Amino acid sequence: MASRRIEERRAQHTRYKEDVERTGKPFFPHAMFHDTVMSLVVVSVIVGLAVVWYLDADGTEAGVLGPHYTEEADPGTTNFIPRPDWYFYFLFYLLRIFKWPESVVLGTVGIPTIGLVLLLALPFLDLRRERRLFRRPVALVALLLVVLSMGVLTYKGATARESLGSELIEAVPQWSERQGFAGKMEAVEGAEIFAQAGCAQCHLYLGTGSQNLGAPELTDIGSGERGAEYFARYVQNPAQFGNNVMPPYAALGEENLQKLGVFLDASKGTEER
Amino acid sequence: MAVTPARRKSPRRAQIEAAALYPLDWLEERSGLVGAIKYFLFRRVPRDTSWAQTLGSASLTAFLVQAITGVILAFYYKPDPDKAYESIQIITNDLTLGWLVRGMHRWGASVFIILMFLHMARVFLYGAYKYPRELNWIVGVLLLTLGMAEGFTGYLLPWDQTAYWATVVGININGTAPFLGPFIAQFLQGGAAIGSDTLSKFYSIHMLVLPGAIAGLIGLHLYLVIRLGVTSPPWSPTEAGRERAPEPPSTNGREGLIRPSGRGGSNGE
Ligand code: HEM
Repeated sequence: MASRRIEERRAQHTRYKEDVERTGKPFFPHAMFHDTVMSLVVVSVIVGLAVVWYLDADGTEAGVLGPHYTEEADPGTTNFIPRPDWYFYFLFYLLRIFKWPESVVLGTVGIPTIGLVLLLALPFLDLRRERRLFRRPVALVALLLVVLSMGVLTYKGATARESLGSELIEAVPQWSERQGFAGKMEAVEGAEIFAQAGCAQCHLYLGTGSQNLGAPELTDIGSGERGAEYFARYVQNPAQFGNNVMPPYAALGEENLQKLGVFLDASKGTEER
Repeated sequence: MAVTPARRKSPRRAQIEAAALYPLDWLEERSGLVGAIKYFLFRRVPRDTSWAQTLGSASLTAFLVQAITGVILAFYYKPDPDKAYESIQIITNDLTLGWLVRGMHRWGASVFIILMFLHMARVFLYGAYKYPRELNWIVGVLLLTLGMAEGFTGYLLPWDQTAYWATVVGININGTAPFLGPFIAQFLQGGAAIGSDTLSKFYSIHMLVLPGAIAGLIGLHLYLVIRLGVTSPPWSPTEAGRERAPEPPSTNGREGLIRPSGRGGSNGE
């Protein structure tokens, strides 16, 4: 059986070579003409994008194609939304679908790896000689599903909205009210650091922020009575506590870390939640 | 390739022709390159190849744009956390046409990725990954992944907030992978936090390791394309390699007249 299939496809390729030899056209000038025109279009599009980008933006001020650059990198203030280039949006959004801690690996590596392996293995999974799309129902359906899901994930990633630190900081009085640490200077200042350092890009706090990379909600993180010092050390270097997803925030400095610790410790969660 | 002086040509003209072709003959005799290029240019491709098959060479063009603009950027870019941001500003604002080179490199990256996806879609639609082109599909998938890795490593280089924080998240995602994940993340980061070690590593990977690998794989990819030929559109009536009809009936009247009657009569079956 299998050997008949192998013979058939060999025969087909021999036929292919004969047909091309007999009725094919020379690459130059026919195909080369198409290739050259297409390449000119490609280069023009690239130059066009560069020109629009340059003329429409001004330094850190964004135009239709974004700014020339954002502020200089600053490990201290994370008042910034981490966003990859658009062709990673689908991965970026995939990560939000899976929650901490059991399934987050599925989103970060599991599904992308499976996808890549399937892509590599495609020629060995689809062994039929048939090449007409409408006679390859499985391939057709798979193609539609992949295009659709990549499209939706990219779109969701592009439109996902995170709150900026400047917006979050307005929620701090309300937080301290509801959590009952309004009188405690250190905790309130810690809350402000929390709002500005970008923690809420991954963590939810009293309904604000967003949940990313499977990071847990922090509203009642202090209910475990682990103490401010513990949290300060944790945030300083999460890897020491076995958390390899969250970045270290040592750059905030000891004083800020202490305040953050007090704030987290004071976050006992509210009953009405 | 040998120049055979035509008898009727004036000796002078023959001499000039021989002199003009001499370098080519010289090269051909020592390398066979002239013959190879001739083979490349005049090899036959299926008669129904058209615009859809230009997406591969368009990807190549986009890659070349990246290579050239990248080399120019490397003249002026400084992979050091204290200087990178400033050098990007200088390239954009002060250098003659620096904005154009940087803009082309930045947007060329997106165009390159889009073209690779479109090219892959064309290969998929045509079923062109099937025997005997399986290996070329795999090379293609590797090119796609390396191309995206170029995007990831290049994103950090401007050393602005977007670059920095996107990379923080990216490296941490690497860290969640089982087994090797934490090691890869640690290697990429190169220290306790993202800093000068990270930047030089990303720079080296972005401008040496990955482009080298991509260029090599493109060479292999093109070798296989030339060796195996490109596929015809599967729906084409003149598809190369289609099942043979038992023996094509005569296509126009004149052929029938010339043909010996003995063969012409067997049309019924
Ligand atoms: C750097 C990126 C790439 C370059 C420069 C490139 C270049 C080319 C060129 C010039 C061709 C000739 C026919 C055509 O243009 O369609 C070709 C064919 C092919 N490419 Fe690519 N390619 C790239 C990426 C890919 C990717 C991502 C895939 C798939 C995963 C792929 C799979 C194939 C296959 C299977 C063929 C043979 C098609 C046929 O016989 O009809 N290539 N490639």
